[in-house]
Amino acid sequence: MSDTAAATPTTDERLAYRSVFQRVFVRPEVGGMIGAIGIWTFFWAVSETFGTVGQTFGWLDIAATLGIMAVAVSMLMIGGEFDLSSGAMTGAMGMLIIYMVKETGETGGWGLPLVVAIPLSLAVALGIGYLNGYMVERTGQPSFIITLATFFALRGLKLGLAKREVQQIQMARTDEATDFDLFRPFFAAEWARNDHQFELRDFTFITLIVLAFAIVILGISELWFKRNESLKSAGLVQFLAGIVLGVAGGVAMHLTDGVAANIAAAAAIAVGVLVGVNGWASWRYEPIADRGKLEIREDLKRRLAIGVGLVVVGAIFAVIIDSSSKRDVFFPFTTQGIRAILFVGFVAAGLTVLAMASQGALSINPATKFAVTSIMALAVVFVALTIFVDSESAKFRAAFFSVVMFVALVLFAWATIVSRFTERRHPDRQSDRLGARMLVAAALLLAVGMATRLLFTIDAEILAGIPPAKTSVRLLWFFVFAAVLVWVLANTKFGSWTYAVGGNKEAARQVGVPAARTKTQLFMLVSFAAWLVGLLIAFRINSIQANVGDGEEFEFIIAAVVGGTLLTGGYGTAFGGAIGAVIMAMPLLGIAAARWNTDWRWLFIGVILALAVIANKFIRDKAEGIRR
Amino acid sequence: MTPPLLELEDISKYYGNIIALTDVTTSVNAGEVTCVLGDNGAGKSTFIKILAGVHEPTEGTIKMNGETVSFTSPRASLDAGIATVYQDLAMVPMMSVWRNFFLGSEPTNGLRIDKKKAKALAKEEMSKMGIDIRDTEQPVGTLSGGERQSVAIARAVYFGAKVLILDEPTSALGVKQSGVVLKYIIAARDRGLGVIFITHNPHHAYPVGDRFMILNRGKSMGNFAKAELPRDELVRMMAGGAELDQLTHEIEQA
Repeated sequence: MSDTAAATPTTDERLAYRSVFQRVFVRPEVGGMIGAIGIWTFFWAVSETFGTVGQTFGWLDIAATLGIMAVAVSMLMIGGEFDLSSGAMTGAMGMLIIYMVKETGETGGWGLPLVVAIPLSLAVALGIGYLNGYMVERTGQPSFIITLATFFALRGLKLGLAKREVQQIQMARTDEATDFDLFRPFFAAEWARNDHQFELRDFTFITLIVLAFAIVILGISELWFKRNESLKSAGLVQFLAGIVLGVAGGVAMHLTDGVAANIAAAAAIAVGVLVGVNGWASWRYEPIADRGKLEIREDLKRRLAIGVGLVVVGAIFAVIIDSSSKRDVFFPFTTQGIRAILFVGFVAAGLTVLAMASQGALSINPATKFAVTSIMALAVVFVALTIFVDSESAKFRAAFFSVVMFVALVLFAWATIVSRFTERRHPDRQSDRLGARMLVAAALLLAVGMATRLLFTIDAEILAGIPPAKTSVRLLWFFVFAAVLVWVLANTKFGSWTYAVGGNKEAARQVGVPAARTKTQLFMLVSFAAWLVGLLIAFRINSIQANVGDGEEFEFIIAAVVGGTLLTGGYGTAFGGAIGAVIMAMPLLGIAAARWNTDWRWLFIGVILALAVIANKFIRDKAEGIRR
Repeated sequence: MTPPLLELEDISKYYGNIIALTDVTTSVNAGEVTCVLGDNGAGKSTFIKILAGVHEPTEGTIKMNGETVSFTSPRASLDAGIATVYQDLAMVPMMSVWRNFFLGSEPTNGLRIDKKKAKALAKEEMSKMGIDIRDTEQPVGTLSGGERQSVAIARAVYFGAKVLILDEPTSALGVKQSGVVLKYIIAARDRGLGVIFITHNPHHAYPVGDRFMILNRGKSMGNFAKAELPRDELVRMMAGGAELDQLTHEIEQA
């Protein structure tokens, strides 16, 4: 009895199999990621400029400072506490730094060099965090109230001290620091895109993206299918042949220009994908012996009819409504906007019904599954063609058309393998790990590809007179800070204790977790983040108003919640906070890009918050359903 | 003769003018189970809190292996080898079994928690106690009440507890689950721990106990070895003895 568990690493047979959906969606940040993609697509579709590099840098820049705070606040909330002083503290820290480095004189500061001011202000920040934690622990009162007190105290101090010391309601001139130029590169370095040319940019971008999608398909199939007892090398050969064909198609597409040549190249890519995916599957997975006969039952027929019908209705709306009209119908919708909403709405509804039909067909037999999923792929092709025929803007005709066609191809490739290979119905740690790693690798490739596309320009763009776009080092601070905290939360004692003190503080204390210390450290982490953000602001705008940051604490909390962190503590991730920050930042520029009044941002954020809370709850219940 | 593993002499605890415990004396030997029985309000919680280091006794001495000790904090009690498994389980429901198992004492590899080792150890240690957990990645909240108790007991045993204090481990459980927990109590005993099993259910206490101490309204009604106390007598004392006779009488008359 005693050594069976240790000797056999395989999983327990009593464990119920969790579907791919359940394994993926159990992660708290997945809902946020889907939301982020949805919001981006929404603004991209309704505005002329949201997808441009300049705009992207714009919302990334907002997401950076918001994200540094949101990630730290997420951790504090997982630890079961709030910090309402976090917003005011960002401005306070920036003002403090400026005051320390400002030249002495009648209305001056202390004239310290940054090399002293930076650690000194950090010490003050950590002190405030410590005080927050100490007060909460000592009084046992909710952190909501304690930090509300800190918030008002800081707000008063900012205004009062600024007026007293420099007779202004702002603190100005970071650059009076004697060693300003030394520190500038670290906190305010900028990357001007037009100064960086990389002629292979698009090729790199497309290669990485296609590679990433290929790995996603293969990774999902690894999670989905049952492995063979032994690998079949014939499949491997076919897989490699598919890759060669696909790559050849890609290169041909890159080198040729004519319509016929492009169609031929696209066909080569399509065949390559189909051959490759099927090769991979027959190399690794167990084939289905009996695929059954096509059998469209009554309810399936009805679903197919409804789904196809909705897609067609969407297409009809797209065609009959004049897409060039910019007239306001009723606020805030233009004719064009209504057309987009009707089109997207009907098509999305139709495809959802078809997806449900495809899901239902799985329980009949593989042949039916193949037929129904193929019909869905055809519907997607139909959508792509509608877009192609009916759009005027190049972004829809070229970019979006290709993307939608690619989605259809992927769907069809999926139909071919899902009807030929056996679905896994038991847990398989090894496959799960490989699949998960492939998905992570794909995400990294995707990120590198996008970064290449964003950071570099090409000759043609400069000749066409593309406006200059800049990004700054604060983005790097955000990524590094978020990455470190994600790692800390998942892998260290401190991370474990954070979940523990938020989940059940008494229990944590009883087994020897230093609960009070952990919570205090979390408060200090938030004030560290506020200090970092204050520093970045001070270097960016050189002068800070006394009200900077006031009220932003709720945005940090919203970002954390949108990212899947529970308000009650004990559940969430740091990565979710970063995603939440991106979601919060996009509407700010997106609404302006769509030429709506930016005041609508608050409405938008309110709606996002409400939807996120509902969606997260739904996803969590759904994902954990089988285990409850 | 070696002194008992843990010995309490004339322990009293006052909260202001409220007397929670007076002159309670009992002991537990290694490899034995001492049951502390008492109805609601008998002072069981205070008794546990004193042993767990949450409260210090107003009067009286605690001895471990014959030496006087005093527990000023839960940590001190824990360090002395006394592990307390509370009624509310001392578990974090949203965290996985292995994280709960090692909470507060995670094995690390540099800064990083050695997850592989932690998971394997958690599974192995629990199977040593005869506890077969399906998946150590499972959140504790998804376990049944009996399984949760068993994780807590296995954890205490693994972390070198010499004395295991169980606060009403069976009170929230069904009949079958209670039986499972009693099995783990015996398993802990057989591994040489002194177990203090606090309960209000004499039927759960009697099969596993070597020694019984009955609390009533903050006072000890005496320590009994199993040999000198038949089950019926224990049940009768627990149920309030004379009071129950009176009650039976009243009910019969009605």
